[in-house]
Amino acid sequence: MIAKVLVVAKWEYLEKVKSKAFLIGLFLMPIIMVGMGLFSGLLAAREDTSTKVIGVIDASGDLAGPLGQRMEQKYLLSNKQPNYLIRELSVGKGIDLDSAVARANQLTVADEIGGYAVVSSHGAPDTVVEYRSKAVGDLLIAARLEETLKSIIAEQRARARGIDPAVLKDLNANLDVRMVKLSQAGETEESGFLKVYMTAYVFLMMLFMLIVTSGQLLVRSIIEEKSNRIVEVLVSSVSSTELMAGKVLGLSGLGFTQIAFWALIGTAASLEFGIGFVALDNALLLIVYFILGYLFYAAIFIGVGSPLTTEQEAQQVTSYLVILLIVPIILAMPAMKDPGAMWLKILTFIPFLTPTMMALRIPIQMPAAWEIVATIAIMLVSIPAAMVAAGRIFRIGILSTGKSPKIADIIRWARKG
Amino acid sequence: MLAVRNLRKDFATIRAVDDVSFDIGRGEIFGLLGPNGAGKTTAIRIVLNILEADGGTITYDGRPFSGALRNQIGYLPEERGLYRKSKLLDTILYLAEIRGMKRAKARDEALRWLRRFDLLTYQERKVEELSKGNQQKIQFITSIIHDPVLVVLDEPFSGLDPVNQILFQEALRELKQAGKAIIFSTHQMDQAEKLSDTLCLINKGKVVLGGTVRDVKRRYGSNSLHVEFQGDGSFMTSLAGVRRAMIYENAAELDLAPDARIQDILKAMIGKVEIRKFELLEPSLQSIFIETVGIPAGGTMLQGAA
Repeated sequence: MIAKVLVVAKWEYLEKVKSKAFLIGLFLMPIIMVGMGLFSGLLAAREDTSTKVIGVIDASGDLAGPLGQRMEQKYLLSNKQPNYLIRELSVGKGIDLDSAVARANQLTVADEIGGYAVVSSHGAPDTVVEYRSKAVGDLLIAARLEETLKSIIAEQRARARGIDPAVLKDLNANLDVRMVKLSQAGETEESGFLKVYMTAYVFLMMLFMLIVTSGQLLVRSIIEEKSNRIVEVLVSSVSSTELMAGKVLGLSGLGFTQIAFWALIGTAASLEFGIGFVALDNALLLIVYFILGYLFYAAIFIGVGSPLTTEQEAQQVTSYLVILLIVPIILAMPAMKDPGAMWLKILTFIPFLTPTMMALRIPIQMPAAWEIVATIAIMLVSIPAAMVAAGRIFRIGILSTGKSPKIADIIRWARKG
Repeated sequence: MLAVRNLRKDFATIRAVDDVSFDIGRGEIFGLLGPNGAGKTTAIRIVLNILEADGGTITYDGRPFSGALRNQIGYLPEERGLYRKSKLLDTILYLAEIRGMKRAKARDEALRWLRRFDLLTYQERKVEELSKGNQQKIQFITSIIHDPVLVVLDEPFSGLDPVNQILFQEALRELKQAGKAIIFSTHQMDQAEKLSDTLCLINKGKVVLGGTVRDVKRRYGSNSLHVEFQGDGSFMTSLAGVRRAMIYENAAELDLAPDARIQDILKAMIGKVEIRKFELLEPSLQSIFIETVGIPAGGTMLQGAA
């Protein structure tokens, strides 16, 4: 009877591999991955490649001079040219603050200067400086201006109290906090927040796309078979168990085709362009969860999809399942802040969420060995249980036409068998 | 080949099949008749092991259903379609292979049938590009390509144009000659009358009449009389043995009771009108069908048959 299962599997695989929905899913994912890479690049602070002219309006006259000197010396481009040139926009001698600002605005709009800083009040204890430019998101320069001005003001105040500025330099700690992710073997690896986030995100999206595209294909094909009554020919030719086994097998073939294709593109891309944002150290473990999740959801889609009779219902039901799959994507941010949280662990042990939660957690922080063993065990129990229940629903569901059965009926089918 | 005994199937609120029995032998065409919703399709699904019966037995050559039998059954469902996006030949081969046919053999047979139905040039086309009639030919091919012993066709002629009807009827007769047991359901009585050797009429899940076509006609048919005459024929309504009469200007259609005596009726007419034509008509299945199912007065006959 295996022969018939293989016949069904082959048909399901070949017919779906040629479908538009599958091909779209196949190519969409790599595009999303590349898009994510670009996106993370955009978010990261970019180094300037040419010298920027920054204006300073300083009515006090105390700050502009030292600021220019220090900024030009401290921050250099990769070609050793200064990153910033500070241009003092004079105030006084008949030019008041307002007209100086108006002129600075003109210069900024005309792109003669990249932006300008206005020292609007200077004294103890507060000094207020505003940085104005066309790009408000230029956080780097704001941070650098702040740091430089702080040290200038501190030195000026120290001098005013008769303290040697060199002493101040000694007193100030030079602080540089770097993010370092510790890997399993205890090796250190410099890792930014974005890299971890993107890795988790890409794996989640892959698993999501994998399950959703094949799930939808499966449900749609069952509905087509029901509406054209081919299903009657099928179940008079093979037993419903053989039919379902063939469908699951064919679908698994689809899943592997997708993963293999993506892995190929991913490897080629990282070799070619050195896109290293996907950390591959735990790929094998992730693939285990991918397979488990895939099989589990195949059973769920069969159980949920086979009693349906129309495309609209199918879309509705798949959208509920999609919500279930999206949960970990929504949780990505809080999970990164506190990877050891109890609620994360609890969610991981719900079979519907186990594979996706693991796909989220593994790149962020490797869960404990017992958690991995326990969740794999849970999946290994849940999958056959889900398959048996799905098989019972499938047997009755594929022959129900007209009005879709009630949920209570479906649960009864799943129990009784 | 097939023996069905006291078949019963209940759905939530109705008894869809109620104590149905019939036999079909090899080389026999069996017509399963009945109005829409009579339980024909349910009975067929049980015979095909798609549904489980709630009571009764079915044996195939004396044995109960087994998985191996699946390869010996051919089935054409009532409301039908095919995989729209799939290619013609691929679809035929798939449906042949799940009936246990080897692919190479299936291909040979598929091409032979496609040639016969003049569809050879379409083999690489998608199903949805075919006309409805041509799709029905494909469905017919898929139900018999694997040389089944039992062929079950649910409403095979519905929606077919006359040319294709003849094509299908020829194929059915060939299958009969080849010794297959054939079940076909229909609510078109003329089809059943032309094709079937034995038949069974079911209504509301119950068998109301059954047997060979001749037998059924003899037992359940009421003869009708066609008379052409000159004169006043109004007296004919009240003649003994006449159950119903339609009197026209110069002609009358008389439905006779089973015990009507033709000679007496003729005698009664002579002298009253001038008879030009006096013809006894064979009952059609159509009239039997309406008589037993459609008209409440036939209720006595309905019970008598069950």
